[in-house]
This record gives sequence, structure tokens and C-alpha cells, in this order.
Amino acid sequence: MLVRALSFLVLLAVPGFARAQGTPIPSLRGIGQASQVDTPIPSLRGIGQASPTDTPSYQRHVAALFSKFGCNGGTCHGAVKGQAGFRLALFGGDPAGDHARLIREFGARRLNFSDPNASLLLMKATGQADHGGGVRLRAGSAEYEVLRKWIAAGAVADDAARSRLKELRVSPTETVTKPGETYRLKVEARFADNTTEDVTAFCSFESLDRTVANVDDSGKVTGIGVGDAGLMVRYRAHPAAARVIVPQAATTALPDVKPNNFIDTHVLAKLKRLNLAPAAVCDDATFLRRVHLDVTGELPTPDQVRAFLADAAADKRAKKIDELLTKPGHADLWALKFCDLLKAADFGVYADALSLEADAPRFQAWIRARLGENTPYDVFVERILLATSKEGRSMEEYAAEVKALFEGYSPGRPDLEIYSKRRTLDLFWQRRGSDGVTGTLQVAHAFLGLRLECAQCHRHPHDNWQQEDLLDFANFFMRVRTVGFGGDNEKKFPDAAAFYKKFNDDAKALEADVKKRKERTTAKDAEAITDAFKAETAAMEKRAKMMPEVARRIMQAECRLLPPGKDAKVTSTLGTRESKTYRLLGESEGVAVPADRDPREFVVAWMRKPDNPFFAKAIVNRVWAHYHGRGIIDPPDNLSAFNPATHPELLKELCDGFVKSKYDLRWLHRTILNSRTYQQSSTPAEGSATDRANYAYFPVRRLPAEVLLDAMNTATGTTEKMDMKYQHWPDEMTAVQVPFMPKNPFVAFVLENFGRPRRNAAVQCDCERDGSGSIFQVLTMANHPRMWEKIKEPTGRVAKLAKATSDESSKIDELFLATLSRLPSEAERDACVRFLKVAATTEKGLQSVMWSLVNTREFLLQH
Amino acid sequence: MNRRDVLKLGGLGLCGVGTLDLIRAQAVAAASNAKAKHMIVCWLGGGPPHTDMFDMKPNASEEYRGIFKPIQTNVVGLQVGELLPQLAARADKYTVIRSVTTDNKPGDHARAPLYWNTGNPRLPTGTDAYPMYGSVVSKLRPGPAELPTFAVLDEIDVHTHNELSSSFIGPAYSPFIMNPMKDKDAVTKMLTPQLEMPAFDKNADLLKLLDTKLRRLDKQDEVVAGLDQNQQTAFNLLRSPKLRQALDISREPVKSIERFTRNKPTKAKYPIGDPLHFLLARRLVEAGVPVVHFNLGYWDWHGDNFTAGKQQIPMFDSGLAALLDDLEMRGLLDSTIVLALGEMGRKPKIDNPKAAGAGRDHWDYAQFVIAAGGGFNRGCVVGATDKLGERVTDKFYKVESFGRTLYHLLGIDPDTVVNTPANRPVKLIVEDAPIIKEAIA
Repeated sequence: MLVRALSFLVLLAVPGFARAQGTPIPSLRGIGQASQVDTPIPSLRGIGQASPTDTPSYQRHVAALFSKFGCNGGTCHGAVKGQAGFRLALFGGDPAGDHARLIREFGARRLNFSDPNASLLLMKATGQADHGGGVRLRAGSAEYEVLRKWIAAGAVADDAARSRLKELRVSPTETVTKPGETYRLKVEARFADNTTEDVTAFCSFESLDRTVANVDDSGKVTGIGVGDAGLMVRYRAHPAAARVIVPQAATTALPDVKPNNFIDTHVLAKLKRLNLAPAAVCDDATFLRRVHLDVTGELPTPDQVRAFLADAAADKRAKKIDELLTKPGHADLWALKFCDLLKAADFGVYADALSLEADAPRFQAWIRARLGENTPYDVFVERILLATSKEGRSMEEYAAEVKALFEGYSPGRPDLEIYSKRRTLDLFWQRRGSDGVTGTLQVAHAFLGLRLECAQCHRHPHDNWQQEDLLDFANFFMRVRTVGFGGDNEKKFPDAAAFYKKFNDDAKALEADVKKRKERTTAKDAEAITDAFKAETAAMEKRAKMMPEVARRIMQAECRLLPPGKDAKVTSTLGTRESKTYRLLGESEGVAVPADRDPREFVVAWMRKPDNPFFAKAIVNRVWAHYHGRGIIDPPDNLSAFNPATHPELLKELCDGFVKSKYDLRWLHRTILNSRTYQQSSTPAEGSATDRANYAYFPVRRLPAEVLLDAMNTATGTTEKMDMKYQHWPDEMTAVQVPFMPKNPFVAFVLENFGRPRRNAAVQCDCERDGSGSIFQVLTMANHPRMWEKIKEPTGRVAKLAKATSDESSKIDELFLATLSRLPSEAERDACVRFLKVAATTEKGLQSVMWSLVNTREFLLQH
Repeated sequence: MNRRDVLKLGGLGLCGVGTLDLIRAQAVAAASNAKAKHMIVCWLGGGPPHTDMFDMKPNASEEYRGIFKPIQTNVVGLQVGELLPQLAARADKYTVIRSVTTDNKPGDHARAPLYWNTGNPRLPTGTDAYPMYGSVVSKLRPGPAELPTFAVLDEIDVHTHNELSSSFIGPAYSPFIMNPMKDKDAVTKMLTPQLEMPAFDKNADLLKLLDTKLRRLDKQDEVVAGLDQNQQTAFNLLRSPKLRQALDISREPVKSIERFTRNKPTKAKYPIGDPLHFLLARRLVEAGVPVVHFNLGYWDWHGDNFTAGKQQIPMFDSGLAALLDDLEMRGLLDSTIVLALGEMGRKPKIDNPKAAGAGRDHWDYAQFVIAAGGGFNRGCVVGATDKLGERVTDKFYKVESFGRTLYHLLGIDPDTVVNTPANRPVKLIVEDAPIIKEAIA
């Protein structure tokens, strides 16, 4: 059997795990280098070899079996109240407590020392007594014997310290196998007392792709179909990973394909191991459409397609990529993505004078401005994470800014320009739920690609994060002031209170003035009152209404740091926990944070360390996923030792390059876009169609809601008025540019049904944007009255084309270019011309052609 | 369901053993002996006054009992308000549940409708967006291909409108929200081909001719395959007259229509909804649509409780009675759950009983649910409230119990595990709660 060391993958072993052991990160290097001559069938007979007696250990064996058999899962005995009177700590979080409950509760029936076989634990697990969880264990099986022996020996909980895990090794780490072939995984644990033991029988196993291989409870792997799959091994709560590769049966030699850059080198190497041929490079028209939609969210115009097809330059694709990366559409598209990710929607807590209508567009404008300038990503994040409202300026200057923002909430929205010139994005911290532990979850998700929600209440079931990891990390953010009305805010923030009073006083004075002026307009000599006077009164009245708002925003919403003292704390049905420690994720040592420093600076400094395990990886992986429909680690927001990368070396090289480029996002985009991998055809080469995760071809995906609606508008030559005049939106705006759901019912309907996310701060998941299909979507595209209106629009593309003098074929050509961004084939052109000939009128015929084209897969999909 | 879902579910199934197949198998096995094939929800958004309708307290003082007198029903021991004569004559067809409440958690109009319609304590923000019953049916037990599985007429709720339509199981299972009674309703129009049938078919043929480029991916790519399948289903729906005919009220005899509309007030204090939605619901169920939900006007009567009652309760009475009659006559009542409820009751103690516009405040501690058909008991009362109608004194059940009872009757295991966006496996009804065994036959 072939064994390859995949040291990078194994080194992903999560630092949280290491820290939990109180030891440095265990070195897993070298695993699997030992030759795997013959893996013995894991035997339970060897148990206890490391200990002087033949008694199973509670720590090493019994507790591990509870995890292996799922006894401590959330829907079983791990539930808050346990199940049927028996509670285990969720996912084995508290072995000592579990032991106490086993021994003490339920009289002596749960464990029967005189007749171990009569113990309820065994009777229930084997189904001899009624068990809601069904039969988990066969009487007389090796696992049964372990439990029985342990009970017979008095069910002692042995010393936990001795059995702390130092290292978990799975072998072989990478295996090439065939469909139907089997081999066994072997898992060895090295404990704190330096004993080593084969713990295979105490692990659970999971194949991350069951179409490639299965792995059973004993660690036996069976090859199923072509591909590669991660194999996750869990011992107690600790992960180890292996990989299995099932290559395509060799038929003909693979074509010799030249890589464009290092991305292709890695991708092609993997394909070679799988014996899968890469797809051909896509044609120019497909490339142009693909890159336009992916980079700018816009369809190319017919003229752009013609020009690109006519361009004979060898480097025209690279030039086009460079050109598109500097287009406004590129910044718009990524502003949309970052606003999704950063939840630019939850504004307005109570009495803070923040609102979705005013502030979501400001948030978006700030992001867009940074992307337009190509601000290095680390600086971009720093300017979000270290935001304060004052940014070191005087209260006076800040108050002037807030006043200007309010004044700017008017036609043309001059406030957007003012806000986007701010150095930092204080709105990030002014959103609902952006403070405290929940805010920390958002930071971890958005910038580190981690899902820590589970750790709010309990040990993460599919990762190594524990509650204290989250709480220790949350402490870096606990000093950020919570937005919203607080009864003692005026006492706490006297500098803001001074302006609060002043602006409220100003408002009162203005009101009094306005009242007097209004009395004059209704007085007897009112004819003498000029329109200018009236206009001035109206302006004063508006200001009088605005000033208390300005005052409230300064008083209740200023993003500032509070003095130290508030500790991270979570309360759930499982109890309350708090922490006073500042500790970065995955680090074993805490950080001493001086009281005069912003603790968030330590987070940013840590993120910027070139070897930070998450920061660069999270964004690189997300950008990759944008272009390829899946992350190198997938889902892209789940960086975890339990979720191995498909191409770890590629991810590492991309991350290193990104850091070396000084976090230049455009470098990242350009590198990915210029790869042959990105420029492949979506039609797989012979025999490679089964591939899912190895980029043997370009994977198709549905266009995102906003891009699709814009494409429909461009194709039909129509626009949608967003109906947001009252919120001072411009009339002309693309769907990609909308800062929140507009009033136009058709636009809202389309965006909702094609999966625009709600940007709900409670949902930490990239999957909030739904890319799936539905019958509703088909009906919308094919039969919504508004879609037909667009096709028939008198000033639209079809109507103009119908009136044009060009011949029928060139009209058909034009429709193809405007929708599918390519010329029709001979057969397609003929079919359409024939259709026009029998149509009632040319215009009606062209409408039908347009309808057909926008309902093709080619139009709806990125391909 | 894409491959990733399969893997997620596979790894995280109930007690660690459930795979998707297993869950499906369970769901299907349960469905085959399901009593209810359909469900109609008449949602009385805002909270109807329970002590004026189905929980009369004639012995309470005037400032509680109000002006409506109780009348005897055809079920011994059950009285209802005098504005419900037709339902009084049909009390042997339904169950009155008086002991399921939100118990003020989560109460109010922003939250209680979300709770009642999902069986889980969903909040506007800060919790997972649990799916409505109809969305779950769409996912686990879809109806005929040429029909929507879950139809909403007009809107889901009068306060939260259609906030409930999206859930974490995805837009593919959102309800078809339409109002066929409105001329300009875009969704209803969307269900009818914008072109005459021959023209539509010609266009569809042309589309087939032009849609060849990615066709070879059909079998290998779930995105393309899904697109293709959805397109076929949608086109079937457009080609089939079934849905259009169901929505076409003009096919109904005038006399029949009159039974639904006879008590429609000409002038009303509050929005009254459309009594024809009872009829449309029946027609849709008859055509084969599994779940229909509609909001019937506004029942949040802080003021003019009694004026509004006189205007809206008789219309509700005749509408629901006609629906029950029709379903019974067609032999559909035993396989169709019919519900009428709001998100709360109204305060038994009247505000300013002497004032002209006397109203009743919110009341989260007692309310009624009318449940008929689909396995619910006939002529049955479950639970009781105290002598003022303020608190449940007997057989209190949580909303979770109500939800579990519905799933039970619909043949869907409420313990089926689905994954939230955060990848947390949850049961359809998260909390364990007993089903309301007294209410089911």
C-alpha cells in the first residue's frame, strides 16, 4: 500500500486541542513515514498493555466509548436534562462529572458490581432493557467486554492527568486505493505518562465524502468511487485526519497540460494522482463572460464581446483581468460580499438615532471606498476592528462630523462621501449585537473563518473549541462600549453629555425661533413675508428636529473604549461561565493587556503574524470559493481540524503569496483568475465528470440574485426603478449596488427568491446566501409578468432591434451576444431565423428568442 | 438537498446513527400511515377574543363577559358565542382546544405568530429562522409535481406579513404567496402562462433547441440537474390547468359562493380579509395542494371589540362552516386538518367597559384553537380556563405540543433532524413535548 506523508494536513491539528492538554502543540510530523507494511486488525486484547493490570481505564477506554457510540450527543444523554434520567456532559466535556453520575445515581442499578452483566448501562446499551437510543452494543462484543471488565473491577476513575493526550497518530495518512478494496486505519495515542496505546477500537470514524470511500466503526476503509476524501478520526473529543485517494482506472495517457502558474501546478499534480484528465481551456467568449460576471457582476456588452474575440494579442486574457479588476463594478460586487459577511443591516437598538435607511448605505460606501482604493486587506481589517468614533479627534470635531452626516441624509446623499472618508468603520461596532461575546463570534466568523457559536454553551462538537477559548478571546472586545440607551450614559460620558445638552438646547432655541417666525407668517401683515423667509423657516424647523437626533447619536452610539472591568460571560441552559483571561485563539498562553491599550490591537497584531493559522487563510479561501464555487477548505467559513483542505499545499502557497504581496487583494484575484484552473471549460474531459472537489473542470453555479437581475436588465435593455426616493436613493442603481432591500416589489421578490441573505447578525454562516434552485425561480424567469414586460419594453433591446434595418441573422447574433455573450452556432441561428419566419411579426419572434435565451442554463448559470 | 447536505446529515444524525436515508425512510414510513394528507390554516392574525367566541364565561361579571350571549351547540356541554350559530350547529365536526398558549413566551404580535406557525420559539432576530409547517411538508413530503405544495393566500399574518416565509431550509420550500382575488397579483399571474398555450409551447420548444450547450451536465451536476427538474415542474404547472382551475372562482356555482360571502360586512372597522379564501383553500386542497394558509383580516381589537366582533365573527362563522361542510361532503375532512386560530386570546377584562369603543387588550395566557379533520377529534373540548377565562386550569400544553401534534397527524416525525445554517442539528420541533392526545381521534 502506498503511503504518503501529508504533514501539512496533519499539522492543522487545532491548537485549541494542544492547549487543552496543557502541552505545546504536539508534533505530528513524521506520521505515516513509517512504512505501512501490514496493518493489523485492531484488537481489543491489547488493552491495558501500558498499564500493569488488565483493567480497562475509565479515561482511556470507557469515556472514549461514550463518545464513539454517540451516547453523549445532544439528542441523547448529552441533552441538558439528559435522557431518561441519565445525563452525560455534552460531547464528553466533563468525564469526571460523568463518572460521578454513573456511580452515584440510580442506586446500584446503573452499575452492578456483583453482577456486571446486570448493570443497566450494559442492559440498555445492548437493548436487553428498553433503550430509547436503540441497540448500541452487542453483548459479548469486544467493546462490551471493556465495559464489563471495568465494572467488574469496581468502575474506578483512574487519574485523568496521566491519560491526557499528547499525540494522536493515524496511519496511513494518505492511501491510494481502488473501488471495492479495503484497508484499515490504525490510531495510536501517546499519553502524558509517555505510554503509547493502540486506541483504534475506541475511535469513531467518518468519511467526508462517502461517494469516494466509506469507513466503518472499526476503521476499515472501503474504496467506493473515483475522488479523494478526508477521513476524520475522533478519539474522545480529539481529531486526527487521514486521506484516501481512489484514482480513475488508467485508460489512456493523461494529456500533457502546461500550468499557467503555481495554482495549476498543485491542481494538476493532484489530478495526476487521481488519474483524471483536466478539461480543455475554455474558449474566449466563455472566458469573457465568466470573468465579467465573476469580477464585476456584469454581463459584457455585445461590443465588448466582439472586440475581445477580434483581439489577436496572446496576453488578452491577462490584460482583460487587469482591466476588470479596476472597474467600479468590481468594488461594487465585493462591497456586496463584505456587507453580507459583516452584516451591514442590523442598525438601531434604542434611542441611538441609527437606522438601516441612513447607516447601511454609509457602511457600504465605506467598504466600497476601501475596495476601490485597493486598501491592503490587513489594513482594511485593522481599520474595521480598531474603529472608534472619534478616531483620536476632539469631541467637537466628532460632533461636527455627526452633524454633517445627518445633514447629508438628503438627495444625493452627500453623507456617504463624508462617511467613506473616515479612517475607521465605527458602524461595524454600532450594529445590534456587535458587542460582547456575540460580537466576538462575528469577528471570528468574518475574519478568521471560524464557527464558534457552539462554544457559547458547550464544547464544540465538531471542533476543538471550548467555552474558555471563546471567552478568553472575547475579552479583547469586552471594552467596546455597547451601543444604545443607558440610563447613566450622561454620567459615564461627560464629554459627550456636554454636546448632548448643547445640541438639545440649540434645538429648543431653534424651535422657539421657528415658532416666532411662524406667528409672523400668520399675522395680519403676512403679505410682507417673502418666500425666502418661509424657506429659511422651513430649514430652521428641519434643523430643530435634527439636532436632538444628532445629540442622541453622540450620546448613545459613540463607539469608544470603556475602562477595563467587564469580563466575558455566557449564560445558557447549561449554566453560566466567565473568564478574566485575555488569550488569542489557539494560543496556550494568555496576554497581559495594559489598561491604557486598546485590547483589540493585540488581536490585529496577532492576525498580522505571517504564521497566523486563520487570518490570511480565511480570506484566501473565501476568494477562491467565490471563483470556484467551493473553498479549498469547504465550506469556506469552517476552518477546522475536522474539515481538512483538499489542496493544503496550494492553500499554503496562496496564503504565503498573499501575505508576501502585503495583503494585496488584487494580487489574489489576479493570481486565481490567471490560472489555467480558473480558465478551464465547464465541460469535463472524458472520464473526469465524476470529479467534485479537484477542479478537473470549471464547476457551474447559479448566478447570485443581484447579478442575475442585473444581467436580465442588461440583456433586455431595461432598468428597474428602486422606488427609494424617500430614502434618497438615486433612480438608477444596479441590484448589486442596493444597500438593503428596496421597495420595488418586483426587485424585492426576485432578490428574496434567488437567495439574497437577510444579513441577520444571529446567523454566522456564508451559507446565508442561498444558491439553490426552486420552481419559483423558474416561474419568475419564465413567466413573471414583469419579465415579459422587460422583454416587450418599447425602448428595450428587442423593440430597438425589431426596428433596426439589419437582416434577421444579424438580429439573432445580437440577441445571442447580449444574453449568452457569444455568437450562435449555425444550427442555432438557422433555428431562430426559421422561428422568425413563422412568427406573427418579427418583433414577436424576437421576443420569443429573447425569452428562450434568458431561460437557458447558459444564461442562468456561471459556466 | 445537495451532496453537502447529505454529508452533513449523515454525520450528525439523531444520536449519531441517523443518515439521510434513514431519516427519509422514517419520514416516508410515517407518511404512509398519516391521517392527514392536507392542512388548511385560517389564521386570525392579531388574536381573536376567546371569551366572545369559544370560551364563553356567562357567569363572569359584566366587565368581563361583555355583551355577547352564549348559545348551545350540537355537542352537549359546549357553548359558543351567539355570533357563531353555524359553527354551533357543526360543533360535532371539530375540537375546541382551550389550553394551548404561548404563555407570554414569546408573546406579542412580533413574536407569537412566529412561534405558533413553526412550533418553535422563533424570534424576528437572534434565533434561527425555523420553518413553517407547510415548508417542512414541502421539503419532506411534497405534493403532486404540477402543484405547489404550500400555498399562502394574500399573506401569512397581519402584523408580521410574510416574514415567516423564509426559513433556514431555504427558499425552495418557501410558500407560494399569492392573492388570486386581486387583479394585479403578480404571483397569481405568474402561475398562468403569459402566452396562450400553443405560443407557450412553441417558445418552450425553441428554448429546448437553444438550451443544449450545458445539457450534457444534466446527469453529473446537481446544480444543472436541479435546474432542469425545476424547469420541468414549473412548465408542467403552467401547462396543467389544475391549479388555474382551482384558483378560478368563476367555476364555482353562485349559490356555493354565497355561502361563504353571505355575512361579509359592507362596512367594517378593521380589515376583514376575504371570506373567499375559505373557498379557494377548499378548491386548492381538492386539486391536491397539501397545505394552504391564509390570514383572515385583523383581530387585534384594542378598541371597538364588540363592533368588530359583530362585523367579523359572523363572516368567519359562515366561511368556516361552509368549508367544513364542503370537505365533509367531498369525503376530504378526515384527511384534511382544518385549523382556525390566532397568536393569542384577548384580555377577559374589558378596558373601559362603559365606553363606546370598548376593547380588549392582548392576552397571551388563554386563547382558543379550532381543529377539525385530519385525525382531530369531532365534538370535543380540550382543556379549560378559570372562571374568568384568564388562565388555563386544565391540560395546559405548550405550542410545541401543538406543533408536534400537527406533524404527528401529517405523518412527519417531529424528531426528524435538520441542520441550521450554523450546522447545528435540531429536531423539527426542537423541544420535547407531549402530543395533545386528548385532541386526536
